[in-house]
Amino acid sequence: MTLVDFINLLINGTVEGLLIALPALALTLVMGLARFPNAATGDYMTLAAYAGIGAQSLAGGALVAGGIGAVAAGAAVSVAFYLWVFRALRGRPPVANLVASIGIAFFARSLLTLFAGQDQQTYAVPLVRAWNFDGIRLLPTDLYVAGIALLAMALLFALLHLTPIGRQMRAIADNPDLARACGIRSGRVLIALWAVVGVLCALGGMMFGIKAVVMPEMGWELLIPAFAAMILGGIGSPAGAVVGGVLLGVASELSVPFVGPSYKIAVAFALLLIVLLVRPRGLFGKALVAR
Amino acid sequence: MVAYLVAVGIIALIYMLLTIGLNLQYGYTGLINFGVVAFFAIGAYASALLTLAGWPLPPAFVVAMVLAGVFAYPIGLLSLRLSDDYLAVVTLGFSEVVRLVIQQEKWLTHGVQGLPGIPRLFQSLGVGEYADLATLGALALCNAAAVVLMLHLVRSPYGRLIKAIRDDEVAVEAIGKDPRRYKVQVFMLGAGLAGLAGAFYAHFITYLSPDQFLPLVTFYVWIAMIIGGTGRTTGAVAGSLILMLFLEGSRFARDWVPGVSEVQMASVRLALVGLALILFTLYRPQGIMGRRS
Repeated sequence: MTLVDFINLLINGTVEGLLIALPALALTLVMGLARFPNAATGDYMTLAAYAGIGAQSLAGGALVAGGIGAVAAGAAVSVAFYLWVFRALRGRPPVANLVASIGIAFFARSLLTLFAGQDQQTYAVPLVRAWNFDGIRLLPTDLYVAGIALLAMALLFALLHLTPIGRQMRAIADNPDLARACGIRSGRVLIALWAVVGVLCALGGMMFGIKAVVMPEMGWELLIPAFAAMILGGIGSPAGAVVGGVLLGVASELSVPFVGPSYKIAVAFALLLIVLLVRPRGLFGKALVAR
Repeated sequence: MVAYLVAVGIIALIYMLLTIGLNLQYGYTGLINFGVVAFFAIGAYASALLTLAGWPLPPAFVVAMVLAGVFAYPIGLLSLRLSDDYLAVVTLGFSEVVRLVIQQEKWLTHGVQGLPGIPRLFQSLGVGEYADLATLGALALCNAAAVVLMLHLVRSPYGRLIKAIRDDEVAVEAIGKDPRRYKVQVFMLGAGLAGLAGAFYAHFITYLSPDQFLPLVTFYVWIAMIIGGTGRTTGAVAGSLILMLFLEGSRFARDWVPGVSEVQMASVRLALVGLALILFTLYRPQGIMGRRS
């Protein structure tokens, strides 16, 4: 592997990692506040990505319309399933929530395939040639999706640290009983949380869709990498999810010359196992939260 | 018609073995195994490859069981260090990796092309219904043995112990028992049952390919267990029969609702599986057979 190859893989891995970080953030927020691994995260991405394609074609091809459609659909789906299922399951063991979220994943995906079919869909994006700097290739589309992902993360961190609702979210994540004793109305905060989760999933789904194609299985297949990114960064830590995503993206991209592109999921899984065995609280996690 | 019923019965009994194994792991001991299909696949491929290499069937079945149990050993060890929901993610990931390996390692498994021409069970009885009837009988015997084993197991001191692990692991440690040994044993035993189910499957279907081992199979088994009521062996039996009624019944539903393609029907079936998972968790966590606690 030459230096140029290495840098190319590094760039690809970083972009991929920033995109993985979006569902990883959604997972880590739910883990921190609602305390279960939400297996429907990937399928929220898929649903929103399809909604985005639908909105784009309705609006006559404007990508912005697609984005608005995807984000609106993602937030609506996520909040709706909270109101229907997860709200009623509060206080039940994480296993109950986890099994229900698997049910939601299947339910959402099959309703989608029932109406949208099993075929691949694509976002209509202008085809642009990669910039080439002495063999180091940079795709403008990649810069664009990575930029959106970074912007979304900046907005999320601003929301968490600069707004009252964000402070309330962090308070509940830190100590739910104390938060309630201080008069935080967790019902409203949780609706906001699920809306944010939906938006993150929607952006993730749409960016992956722009980078490649949209298929019914795409979100489900991103679930294990997103879990790995979350655990790598430390559960409940948003900054950790971002760092974990990028590390995972780079690691799986750098593994391609050695194990081939088809084993990417296996690399993510191996990394997940190593972190769980060696440092179960991840890079940024608190010792108490993860076990 | 008889041939069809026998075939459905065979598949139902294969699911029953899987459900009994999962019920031992989750229902009695509280180990969340979201990778049932991995051990099913390992058993199926192990037995198929060995018999294709010229082994007779009985030792191939034994190897399928043992190998599935052996693969469960490291996962079982992991379960000692992980809390419940992490084990769920790890086992789910494991099953996807197993499927990926089956897909990629063409020298061993023929990849997506699949493995055709696997010898049938009881082939000497003729290709027709007698071989299938004999398979059904053998499966019924295995299931009966598994049920009897489970019923004895849960009433024995061993059964009390694993249920105590499920309910309060710290208390088990406090009375001087080591829960870790039992968890690994239970995990391996359940996986062995899944491996046996896989071997039966391979020698009944006679063709294996990686897309028969999607995570969906795992959740069919979960549905069967949840419907029947977790932690009840009779529930596992009833649940897998109800699951099969639903899966086969949905085939006939197409006759009443015209204009629905097979692909759409597959979507509807998956939607109903998802809906059942949601509704049972919400409204009847104890299953059909269970008592409200």
